[in-house]
Parts: sequence; C-alpha cells; structure tokens
Amino acid sequence: MEWTGLAIVLGWAGFALASLWIGSAGASAAGGTVAALVPLLRRSIPVAGAMALLSPVGVMLPALALRDMAAAWGLPVMPFGTFEISVFLAAYAAFIASAMGLVPVDLYRLGYAPGAVAAMVLMVCAYGLAAGSLFLPLVAVAGQALWVARLGSSNWLDHVLHAALVPVAVVTLVLRVV
Amino acid sequence: MAILALAALSIGLSAVAIRRDRPLCWRFALPDPLSVNGKGRFSTVLDHRPEAGQAHAPAIVPREDGFSVLWFQGSAEAQPDVDIWGVDLQRHGDTWLASKPAPHLTRAGLGRAMAPHQLVVTLGNTIAHDGRPGHLLATVVSVGGWAMAAIADVAMARGGPVNARKLDLSPILNRSFLVKSPMLGYEDGSHALPAYFEMGPTFGALVRFDEAGCVRDRRWMRSRRAKAIQPMIVALDARRALAFLRDFDRSDTLWLSRTEDGGQGWSAPEPTGQYNPSAPVAALALGEGRILMAANDDAGAPDALVLSVSEDEGATWREVHRLTGPGALRYPMLRRVGDEIVLVHSTGGKHGIATHVFDAAWLAER
Repeated sequence: MEWTGLAIVLGWAGFALASLWIGSAGASAAGGTVAALVPLLRRSIPVAGAMALLSPVGVMLPALALRDMAAAWGLPVMPFGTFEISVFLAAYAAFIASAMGLVPVDLYRLGYAPGAVAAMVLMVCAYGLAAGSLFLPLVAVAGQALWVARLGSSNWLDHVLHAALVPVAVVTLVLRVV
Repeated sequence: MAILALAALSIGLSAVAIRRDRPLCWRFALPDPLSVNGKGRFSTVLDHRPEAGQAHAPAIVPREDGFSVLWFQGSAEAQPDVDIWGVDLQRHGDTWLASKPAPHLTRAGLGRAMAPHQLVVTLGNTIAHDGRPGHLLATVVSVGGWAMAAIADVAMARGGPVNARKLDLSPILNRSFLVKSPMLGYEDGSHALPAYFEMGPTFGALVRFDEAGCVRDRRWMRSRRAKAIQPMIVALDARRALAFLRDFDRSDTLWLSRTEDGGQGWSAPEPTGQYNPSAPVAALALGEGRILMAANDDAGAPDALVLSVSEDEGATWREVHRLTGPGALRYPMLRRVGDEIVLVHSTGGKHGIATHVFDAAWLAER
C-alpha cells in the first residue's frame, strides 16, 4: 500500500510539473509514467530516498493528489474553503506541538486506541455530512480500513494526516491571497 | 447517503478493532532474586579496541547459550560507514569465550530488509527486543542527523536482517525517537521500550506494543527544566518504578522520574543531585528495593565508571567498585544473564568496548 501511495504522490508531482508547460493530457501521461516507474525503481536512491522521507505515506496525500488531477481533468470537485484550510492549519500546528511535548496533552496517542479512533472517524463523517463533502469521510474510513487491516502505520492519524500537508495548505492559502 | 454508508462501515470496522484490542497490562514483572551462591567472581571478558575509528554504545543481547554484545563501529559517530558490530560470548567452564568482533547489522543489509524498502544512511544505538526473540531495535537515520532518527524493529537471521520496519511513534514524518536502555517486562509477558524524543524539545518516553508487535501506546517523562533523555527504568514493585534520565544540556546532575501506576503516568523529572556529565546510566533491580547502578557519578573523576548499590530504592548510594581508563568510560548497560550480571561500556572516549561479568556473591562481598 505504501508503494501505491508513493507512486500516486510522485506521479502527481510529475503531473504538476509537466502541467507548467503542457496541457492536461500530456501532463497526465507524464504523471502516469512517473507513477509507473516508482515500483520498478524502488531500490534506486531517489525512490528509496523519497520513501524514507515520506513514509508513512498514508491515505490523505495520495487522495489529495488524485483529487487534484481529477479537478484538472474537469471532474466536479468541491474545493476546500479558505476558512476551512486556515482552521486545519491552526489545528494541525496544535497537533504537532502536542506531539512534540510542547503542551501537556499528547493528541497523537489517541490514534492508537480503537475507541478514540472510532469516535474521531464518526466525527469526520458528521462533518462531511454537515458540509456536504464526501472526500474527508472517504479518507477517514479508508484510513481506518487500512489501520484495522494492519496495513501501514499502527496509528490511524498517520493514515489521515501527513506533515507534507502543512506546505500544501500554506501554498494553497498563499495562492488564494495572491 | 454515501456518507451514512461510510459511517456504518466505520462502526463495523471499529467493532472489529475494539473486539481485537487487548487492554495493556500495567503491572511490572519483577525478576527472581539473584542467587548469592556464586564464587565471588568479577572478570573482564572482552576488551575490544578497533585499530581505527570509533566503537561505542554497547548493548547486551541475552541468548540461550550465553549472550552477545553489539555496538556501533565506524570512522566516527553518525558517519555513513558506521555499522553494528558484535561478538558472541559463551561460557566454557569457568571462563567466557568471545567470538571475533564482526559486523552484525549493516546499513546496506538493513536497507534491503526495510519494509517498505528505504535508505538507511546512519545506524546508532541498537538494543535487544525482549518482546520478540531474534529481533533488535535499532536507531536508524534515513535523512538528516540524530534528530531525524527513527526506531526500527529488525528481525535477524544468521545471515543478517531479514525484515525490518520503523515503529510508528511520531506524526513528524515518523522521526526523532531513539533507543538506548533495555526494555522492561510486565506481568503478562509483554515488554515496554524506554525511548526518547530529540527534535527541539527533548523528553523520555515509554512505548507499549500490541500482540502483533506494533506500537499501541506511548507515555512521556517531560521536564520543563531539563532536556531529559535516555530513560533507564528500574521497577521497584508491580506498580512503582524509577526512571533515571540524562540531561542533554549540562546541568551536571542525574534526573529522576517516578511512576506509581505501572508506567501510565510519570512525574516530571527532578534533579537527584547525583553528579552526571550528561552521560547515560545503567541500572538493575536486585530485589527488595536494592538497585545496582553503573554511572559516571564522580565529579572529580567524570571519566571513571562507578558501580554503586542503593539499599533504599535509590535514595542513597554506596560505591562498590570503580572502573577507570583508558579515557572516558561511557554508555554502560547492565543485564542479568542467568545467575550472573553483565556490564558493558565504551572505553577510551568512544574508541573501544569492554565487557565484564560478575555474580551476586562478588557484589555481596563489597
């Protein structure tokens, strides 16, 4: 699963770079080529280094990559609101601070506990229902399925969050302001 | 409708996870009292000094027929030529015989065994995984320095590592947890790992595992007054334990955290007043409140490694033996192997490895 996730993320990177110069069709072909090469080159230094850097890849990053490519192809995708992204950034900063011991509460610990995970996933589903968005519930439940199947991290939060989301969210906010 | 279906699926998944989950045991296992019927022996069974480079951070790996000593060796700490070396020691009559020092766990071998496959550029402190015989817990770096380290659970075979995966301990790209001290056991046969976080804020941690060997919980030993790392935990009874911690900054004192609920909660580390030159200590429960410690606790001779015994749960200490030179003696580890105690440490300021074996009778004589 980790290799599938990494292939999608690196494929998206190839797609995004190619999009700067060529259209969606050509960029998709470039991204697809990169994604196809990832499992073949997994013992090479660049790909093994990318895995070392990004692992555990989780569900959220590949899901966002697929979503972005789907939007580029003109499929209906409901964008995140600026307020929504801002709240996520603030909450994620607090989460990282708690994981680094800067506050007395360790939120990351909750991701190991089945009862806490059950509550968190249902809260995400409730948010998705209220916001009319399928994306976040889909990611949360897909992450829970992998977590229960013991594929990837033993912490559910690793499946649905990733440190790389911080630069992604910041760049998105900056582009909206600029 | 789709979201409601996902919520229903989630409830089903939660039911599976909750039903499968076994509550963690929070009662420490206490070792049997050490027999004092020995011969009163203390012998140095290994004095390894590589011709060039460093050898440091030794660990003891108990085996059925003796024990192994593992350490990292290379041109210098954190360099890309550092591998884990080791020797096997077996008792033959009254003496322990050591095999020739040889690479035991290499970066290349570990990189190949990693699932998913990934680079390993630096190897560091490596200890025995007491909860999974034949496994090691290795400090590995794939990108950056020690602050970017992770702990890998490595399954070993005769030819080297066959499978390895990083423990899921941090949301920050799973980085910055390291190991140093041996694991401690619980009454149900499970084991917990003393670890420490070293990225910016530093603190000690206790890691618990589920039946599959995956991380199930983590608890902290945090101090606002010190960068308390490398917890060395000694159980006093089923619920109480002491964690001796090194201050990564130079407060020149050893720090102490306590638990009274089997490790679920730890007090904020406090200075003990016992001298410590920012170096880890080793400790071993001897039973009935007695603790054996190996530490650099003489301010007048910080390079000496002093063996001390406490009869009152760590409140006071009495020196029983002193090891000196060449150079600084650091990074001790103490473990019981059968009816004997093994002490390992580095010598010559990270330039060698020494191993000593002694028994309870030798301790009682002093």
